[in-house]
Amino acid sequence: MGNVIEVQNLTKEYKNIKAVDALSFEVREGEILGLLGPNGSGKSTTINCILSLLNFSKGSIKLFGSEMKPDAYELKSKVGVVFQDVAVFDELTVYENIDYFCGLYIKNKGIRKQYIQDALTLVGLEEFTKFRPKQLSGGLLRRLNIACGIAHKPKLIFLDEPTVAVDPQSRNNILDGIKQLRDNGATIVYTTHYMEEVEILCDRVIILDKGAILASGTNDELKELAKIEEKITVEISNLDARYIEAIKQFETVDMVTYSDNLLLITYQKGKNNLVALMDFLKQEGIEYSKIYSERPTLNDVFLELTGKELRD
Amino acid sequence: MFIHNFKYAFKTLFRDKMLIFWTFAFPIILGTFFNLAFSDIESSEKFDLIKIAVIENDVFQNNEIWRESFAALSDADNAERLFQTQYVSEDEAQRLLEDQEIAGYFVLTDHGPTVVVSSSGIEETILQYVTQEVSQAEEMIQTLTASAMAKGEISTAGDQNAFYAQLYSEVMGIAQESEPRIQNISSENLSYTMIEFYTLIAMTCLYGGILGMVAVNLNLANMSNQGKRVSVSPMRKGKLIFSSVLAGYITQVIGVSLLFVYTIFVLKVDYGDTLPLVVLLTLCGCLAGLSLGIAMAVLVKSNDNVKTGIIISVTMVGCFLSGMMGITMKYIIDKNLPLLNRINPANMITDGLYALYYYDTLDRYFVNVASLLIFSLVMIVVSISGLRRQRYDSI
Amino acid sequence: MIVFKTFLRVLNQCKVPIILYTVILVAFAGFNMQASDSSAGFMASKPDVLLINEDDNTGITRGLTEYIESNCTIVDIKNDEDAINDALFYRDVHYVIYIPQHYGEDFLNGLNPEIQIKSTGDFQASYAEMLLSRYIKVAAIYARYIEDEQELTAKIGHTLSKQTEVEITSTLDTNRLTKSALYYNFANYSILAGCVYVICLILSSFKSEPIRKRTAISSMEYKKYNRLLLVSNSLFAVVLWLFYVLLSFVLVGNVMFTAQGLVLILNSFVFTLCALTIAFLIGNLVKNKNAVNGIVNVVALGSSFLCGAFVPVEWLPNSVLTVAHILPSYWYIQTNERLKTMEALNFGTLRPILFNMGMLLVFALVFTVAANLVSRAKRKIG
Repeated sequence: MGNVIEVQNLTKEYKNIKAVDALSFEVREGEILGLLGPNGSGKSTTINCILSLLNFSKGSIKLFGSEMKPDAYELKSKVGVVFQDVAVFDELTVYENIDYFCGLYIKNKGIRKQYIQDALTLVGLEEFTKFRPKQLSGGLLRRLNIACGIAHKPKLIFLDEPTVAVDPQSRNNILDGIKQLRDNGATIVYTTHYMEEVEILCDRVIILDKGAILASGTNDELKELAKIEEKITVEISNLDARYIEAIKQFETVDMVTYSDNLLLITYQKGKNNLVALMDFLKQEGIEYSKIYSERPTLNDVFLELTGKELRD
Repeated sequence: MFIHNFKYAFKTLFRDKMLIFWTFAFPIILGTFFNLAFSDIESSEKFDLIKIAVIENDVFQNNEIWRESFAALSDADNAERLFQTQYVSEDEAQRLLEDQEIAGYFVLTDHGPTVVVSSSGIEETILQYVTQEVSQAEEMIQTLTASAMAKGEISTAGDQNAFYAQLYSEVMGIAQESEPRIQNISSENLSYTMIEFYTLIAMTCLYGGILGMVAVNLNLANMSNQGKRVSVSPMRKGKLIFSSVLAGYITQVIGVSLLFVYTIFVLKVDYGDTLPLVVLLTLCGCLAGLSLGIAMAVLVKSNDNVKTGIIISVTMVGCFLSGMMGITMKYIIDKNLPLLNRINPANMITDGLYALYYYDTLDRYFVNVASLLIFSLVMIVVSISGLRRQRYDSI
Repeated sequence: MIVFKTFLRVLNQCKVPIILYTVILVAFAGFNMQASDSSAGFMASKPDVLLINEDDNTGITRGLTEYIESNCTIVDIKNDEDAINDALFYRDVHYVIYIPQHYGEDFLNGLNPEIQIKSTGDFQASYAEMLLSRYIKVAAIYARYIEDEQELTAKIGHTLSKQTEVEITSTLDTNRLTKSALYYNFANYSILAGCVYVICLILSSFKSEPIRKRTAISSMEYKKYNRLLLVSNSLFAVVLWLFYVLLSFVLVGNVMFTAQGLVLILNSFVFTLCALTIAFLIGNLVKNKNAVNGIVNVVALGSSFLCGAFVPVEWLPNSVLTVAHILPSYWYIQTNERLKTMEALNFGTLRPILFNMGMLLVFALVFTVAANLVSRAKRKIG
């Protein structure tokens, strides 16, 4: 499997602020790459540079092995983009919008008709072809936005936060659609600041902050980066301080905090921790109402790497 | 591909209610207002009968010249009739004057003729003029009689009366036959309300700039989200912009055509015999408006509302200067600040149509056509660098 | 206070159109002042004439030119056919007289030579033509009896100089009053456009769906909030009105200090109140900011054209004026027109004016009721 995108040393400056700082990465054919980072971390700027919409100070960008330029029409025809902002005509119906944008790529009317149908099915807008964008709810509008970007069946698809402000039903629909696109052979670059989405969707993740790569790898590789392996939360009322001290002495325990009747324990290793804790509580005769264990999330990774939360 | 984009650009523009209002409906509404307001102006410029009163007293009754003069000027059968006269008492005349039912009244006393009016004005001036003419005729006959007496041609009082009477009929006869030969060589096309309709056409052409602006914005990645989408497609930018702008132009031409059809067939505006030339100038005017819009789209770094505001303001001020709210404005600018109107696209259109309507030669018309083309060219040239840009520093 | 502060912030966004409307008002008013300044005194209506003499300026020709010059306003236009034609079209000159070569000589030889003229065909032109033909007629009559050219021109001159006595009963400065009425007529457009535009934009900001929800759940009482908004808008309208009144003092001057001037000001105040209610009605009907611009232009230009703000009322066709009765601007402008020639202010002369103002207030009441009905209906749906 070759690389569909190769970005080397990309740097983009806005008036002395480095929006993207010497960024290098590649995207392999057939994978879903997640670009994860908080707002303002340079995700959209990176994509706009790759698409030759923005000037950049340094670096090189190759798509499908050739250099990407504004007039590289051959390359552009293989790419589909779903922008963060909804980019459709208010004056055109759902069908007309898809037809217009698809028509910029596909000349043959018969094929185009079929492609539009496929796109409508993919995003589940078959019922709404005659609607104007203003008549659609936020989630449906997002789906239309996606349909307009992918109707021409591109080999490489950029999705820039397609699920911002979307209801859960539309979000699931969108995420399913994206998986389906990958299954049909497309390579996908997906930016978001929702780590849950990345975890269920992406094959590989790049975490960006301040225009630079903090970390990259598969989900599991990234989670390795986090020092913690397990997090256990117990609801206990009026826990005596000496028990907390006792728990701190456990071999694998990293940190213990207790506030608002919640006991939070993080572990450096991930085996038999829950059993050991429950045994301890039973042994000491401490009453607790709830106890649950979590694996670390990318948010914990991000927190670990930057000291701040991923979501604003 | 060209046609695909053209078709959708056309649909987009046509379904934009605001665009259609400003470029299609507003000129027609304004044209209707013009027509309602101005339909009577030119006819009211012609003479209406002037309502006057004459004080009926003995002196007036005994003076043949005065009595007959007023009778003739108030005679409904007389083509030259000027007055609608009431013969009343002085008190009544004063009341009529106060109630503004008459322009003035006439009193003949032993001291001579007097005209009483309440204020100054055209009608009052005519009343004064006419009484002056009659008293001058009276004076002329007296002068001639006196000089005949001085020469000894007549001596007795009886002779004098007879001579006076004979002279009176003679003078009237001469006055009849020596009608001055005055030839009117002015153009027939003097209706200045035409200018109003010309400014209306100018306004429609320039409002078309909004269409040009929207059409271009839709293709620029730094101006609209749709523009970003279009920019990442494999379509050549030049081709896209050209087909969108063409769609804008056609929409504009349809708008102007509607205005023409409406003004010609509904409002009965007469554009003269040179309709093809009117159309040519209008097409150039549309181009000027379109290119103004393109320049605004590219050069002004702000949102669509601000750009639309600028185009509407430029258009309204341009039309104001070329006579929309009173044609004298155009004349004052033409006379005192000719340069301002030379670079005012609204005036190029208005002036071109005016030259076509009023002038016998086409020189001035073609100067305006050329000005519009140069204006369009300048606008397009300054826009080109912005249009050619493929990558932006920020979007 | 916070409502008013926000009001001012939103108002600040509308300054460009307000300035535009005001500039147009000033330009129009200033220009009209200038245009009618040349006419003063009884012979205000001396026609504007251009005289082009190809003949020697002696004898009978000289008599003619002197007569025309003393009875007409000779317009100074450069002797260029294009300039003359333009001047004629724009009514800068109403009558052009071309005296041909050898006119005087041919006339004395009884040839009745032809004189070419250009005419706008209106009142002034007809008057100028009457003067021209009168001279020729008088000259023709005297020429029958008198041989000597010098005696002839002297006699003609003597006869034509005989004036009729004219008595003007009015002591009113109609000229300046006319100007101020013109100014206030045009202010119809500026007040209406200014009020409706600004208030609609402000209402559409304050009443837009999300903001309305937010204020509805705020601790401020709904009625109080509306009242504050109403006060703010009224305050704006009054400031706008005051500004235009001050401007009238600058442009028209002393005549504004007369009783008639005072009524003009009062009338414009009543009209401003009415415009305010129109603005409230439209602001309640229209949500879309873009649509406001279109509606303002149609309403303000329509009222102004149909009621005589731009075009003198006496030139409007009767049918249009009949229809115009349904527009508040009609009643406002009718009052201005009456004041132009109003001699004395007493109950008799003021009655129609009070009636007009009453009509304006009735309109204001109707619009207020309608605006409330609309806003109530909308609140239920929302």
